[in-house]
Amino acid sequence: MTNFSSALRIEALKMFRSKVPLFTTIGFSMMPLVGGLFMVILKDPAAAKSMGLITTKAQLLTGTADWTSFFGFLAQAVAGGGMVLFSIITIWVFGREFSDHTLKELLALPTSRETIVTAKFIVLAIWSLVITILIFGVGLIVGNLVAIPGWSVELVRTSFISILGTAVLTIPLMSFVALLASIGRGYLPPFGWIIFIVLLADLSVILGWGDWFPWAVPGLFGGAGGGLREGLLGVHSYVILAIASVIGFVATYLWWRNADQTR
Amino acid sequence: MEFAIETNELSKSYRDVRAVDSVNLRVKPGEIYGFLGLNGAGKTTTIRALLGMIRPSEGNIKVLGQAVGPHGRGPWARVGHLVESPSAYPELSVRENLEIARRLQNAFDKNATKRVIEQLGIAPYADRKAGTLSTGNLQRLGLARALLHEPELLLLDEPANGLDPAGVVEIRELLRELAHQQGVTVFMSSHILTEVDRLATRIGIIHKGKLIEELDADALEQLRSKYLVIKARDIKAAFSALKSSGYAISSDPNGSIRLSDRRAVDAPDEVAQVLVHAGTAPTHLAVVQENLEDHFLRLTNTEVR
Repeated sequence: MTNFSSALRIEALKMFRSKVPLFTTIGFSMMPLVGGLFMVILKDPAAAKSMGLITTKAQLLTGTADWTSFFGFLAQAVAGGGMVLFSIITIWVFGREFSDHTLKELLALPTSRETIVTAKFIVLAIWSLVITILIFGVGLIVGNLVAIPGWSVELVRTSFISILGTAVLTIPLMSFVALLASIGRGYLPPFGWIIFIVLLADLSVILGWGDWFPWAVPGLFGGAGGGLREGLLGVHSYVILAIASVIGFVATYLWWRNADQTR
Repeated sequence: MEFAIETNELSKSYRDVRAVDSVNLRVKPGEIYGFLGLNGAGKTTTIRALLGMIRPSEGNIKVLGQAVGPHGRGPWARVGHLVESPSAYPELSVRENLEIARRLQNAFDKNATKRVIEQLGIAPYADRKAGTLSTGNLQRLGLARALLHEPELLLLDEPANGLDPAGVVEIRELLRELAHQQGVTVFMSSHILTEVDRLATRIGIIHKGKLIEELDADALEQLRSKYLVIKARDIKAAFSALKSSGYAISSDPNGSIRLSDRRAVDAPDEVAQVLVHAGTAPTHLAVVQENLEDHFLRLTNTEVR
């Protein structure tokens, strides 16, 4: 336990002394700000028309200027942006050990490799959740400043569950990103993977198979299919997401434990 | 006897390349073992295997009496290591990097960080970010990390890398002190022969993945050829004086006389006396010993052929 809490503190220190928290916070904070901008545009169509393309896009995304649309936009932002931003965090947490050549300092220690990998996953999961909650909070502030109509406590509650749930479903899928950062010994292979998988997730939703594709499930949970998630996702969706994530975790642990480390 | 390091037929292959080939190492506790080899000879692969970082293709490894691997298992709380070029988290200070290592090593002594910072002379840089360190200071940080938990065994890959001449001497003395006063076993690889020559109590030479020679430093002393080099103003007179005294003159390159026979090497004063009596006093008389470099090159060349 001492080992584990030490490993956790160390991973947290490494994370927070880097620029990753700053960049991911800025990146994620853009979402409620952009959402707020859409709301402003939608509230005043006259001004919106003068802005051309942005108006069209805003209407396509949200339709009307109310809290329902705004939270819907945030959930979508977390589903799409979260997959990318959480991946950046994961890629950094795992890939930096290879690009900084520090991995060899983590292998022959009384603290097991599994402990270190677990600490890494926990730190990246916590940070991913923190920035998700942060954008929800920023969203509430922005929405109030812009004075969007249609506020209700119930709506805030369900939207919070939807947004947080999207993040919670996205985080376990980071196991594959961690695996690829480890096998690829750096940043590029997992970046390639995440671009590929996001495109594939979009395609699966378009083809109507999104509920069977683990990487599409968080997006559908957040409302990407344009309807209620109860109709879009079934138990099988969550099971398949869990199975995929477990495969990613197990493979990552096995790789750290068994692969030859020659760098 | 329990060895600090014991490998049996240790081999590691990467596809067609046999990086390490049936290496049987025996390192006794308290020894300073110099592991010599050219670049690519298999030194680092062996050290990584000893640390459980790579899995041997064949053979087995015991470190401090405990089997290494699979799954990275080993007596790591009692082993300090420095593998290849030192590395550190660049955005963290020297002190923070060491604190991280201390915690991962389960070293509960909170003064350990301070101790190694002072031991390795990096106190002026303790609060500097590791990313700004010179190669030499980064090497010192790596060595400090290896010593944090007061290990019984040090596995050091090229410990003198990047150090300036004063640093090389300082680290050599530190390692000698650790071995002699605290009984720490040191296994160090190097391609800098003078370094190993001055420090190691036992030497292993690896060439093309094979351990081609293993010998005590004392034995090396015996193995190395010694000869006496003599110069005199009248080299011909000196030559005949020595010849008539029964010395075997092996060669005389560079206008000097070289005596290789034991009698001459063991008693150069008698040689001087002979020359003085013959009226051709030596202007230069020195016992020269083949160094490890000559021995190493002779050995590896033999193997190459």
